[in-house]
Amino acid sequence: MKGSTWHGVAVVGSLLTAVLFGILLGDLVWQGLPQMSLGFLWRTPSELTSFGGIGPELLNTLVMVGAASAITIPLGLAAAILRVEYGARPGFLLVFDRMRYTLLSLPTIVVGLMVYEWFIVGLRWPLSVGAGVIALAVVNWPFVVDVSVAALKGVPDSFREASLALGGTKYLTLLRVVLPSALSALVSGLGMAIARLMGESAVLIFTAGINVSRHWGWSAPGETLAVHLWYLRTESVAPHADAQAAATGVVLLLLVGLVLYLTQKLAHWLKPMDA
Amino acid sequence: MDNEAPHINVTQLSVAYGDQWVLKDVSMTVPGGQVLAVIGPSGCGKSTLLRVFNRLVDRVAGVHIKGQVRVGDFEVIGDHVDLVELRQKVGMVFQHPNPFPFSVFDNVAYGPRLQGIKNSTRLRILVENSLKQASLWDEVRGKLRRPASSLSGGQQQRLCIARALAVSPQVLLMDEPTSALDPLSTAKIEELVLTLKGQYTVILVTHNLQQAARVSDFTAFFREGHLVELGPTKEVFTTPRQLATEEFLTGRYE
Repeated sequence: MKGSTWHGVAVVGSLLTAVLFGILLGDLVWQGLPQMSLGFLWRTPSELTSFGGIGPELLNTLVMVGAASAITIPLGLAAAILRVEYGARPGFLLVFDRMRYTLLSLPTIVVGLMVYEWFIVGLRWPLSVGAGVIALAVVNWPFVVDVSVAALKGVPDSFREASLALGGTKYLTLLRVVLPSALSALVSGLGMAIARLMGESAVLIFTAGINVSRHWGWSAPGETLAVHLWYLRTESVAPHADAQAAATGVVLLLLVGLVLYLTQKLAHWLKPMDA
Repeated sequence: MDNEAPHINVTQLSVAYGDQWVLKDVSMTVPGGQVLAVIGPSGCGKSTLLRVFNRLVDRVAGVHIKGQVRVGDFEVIGDHVDLVELRQKVGMVFQHPNPFPFSVFDNVAYGPRLQGIKNSTRLRILVENSLKQASLWDEVRGKLRRPASSLSGGQQQRLCIARALAVSPQVLLMDEPTSALDPLSTAKIEELVLTLKGQYTVILVTHNLQQAARVSDFTAFFREGHLVELGPTKEVFTTPRQLATEEFLTGRYE
């Protein structure tokens, strides 16, 4: 096929995706409209009335995703640096990459079971924000490593050679050339990892629970927006639960969209001077 | 004495990647302040030779080096060589212009900053002098904050030369520096090499025989990892001592 034909296929595909997304979003907004108000964003959920909100879920989502990212991003980046910049021994690389791929393809619900076994059953933690953070961190870890490895590998080796040839140590080369050149790709990739984490539900059902407490704490139950959405559509007997689920979905989508938009903007701003 | 361009002595140098020897028992001397052109067919070991002089060859996993290389009094081969010191003495320019994705100024200031120079006046003087030495100053003055990538390919290569000179090396290694450039940019770089002569010992790997004839004082011909012949360029080109050299120069050897 000619290039123009492929171009046409790509345009039709993108339009189709955009239209489908538009329909989905429109439907959600239409369904959720009766429930949408500013108060919905901070009220506590209610099983008995249709005046429930998603305040605690919103807070839990932000705190748990934030904490899990704060744990995994530095560690994942460090692992990727070890892999790309310092991992000269082939045996190490092989083991590292195999573990990375295995973790990447692990279903998150299995991660949830693991964390449940170790922390809830083994260490007798409650279903809580804290356990949820651990579970999210385990899920996020291989993605952070993957994104960081890709960003570091995207830095042309000729930059490293030039820096070393000028008398740069490995460490200074990393600090002054490699990381600045990789930063844009890193931010954009990490944005996607964070956005993905916000929609994570399977791993949290066993670990953070499907409840919230009036008093926030690390050991209090930590239902997030995504889990709440699932709960509303399956278990809840509250009046207008479906409309609330739609409204929750809209909020979650907006949140994800905001994260993606901001990180892409930041990535664009951080782009090295050659692009 | 320290600023004088040093001799380079190579004694029985052999280099292997794994169990494949790419340089075999090479001994030679490059007089200080002269330009040595290294020629030979692809895969003859000339790029490896260049990368031994600044030990960039260490980046290849499984590399073995035997023999001795001395730049002035500095021992290049050994486990305890201070590579930072060596690479400040022996600068390098690569086949493809590889400026950092920074501004023109930050590219040239990179090396001095590595050495901990922070004083902005000193950096500005260093950058200006290096750009002048690389005959790029007239083209980029007033544009030092622009991205290096906005320069043409030939200008980028001269920027890379300025970047190498800013570290005040004594030796300059050039790995086919004009193979990616148009004839006009090539001519400018050749002119530049002639002006650098005397101040620096230059080793120029090139596939362009006319270039070797135009700019070098000495020429070394390599084949299959062996140094076949080294002599004054004029002699090597007009009356080569080895048949292999003559065949290569006249295009009868591929």
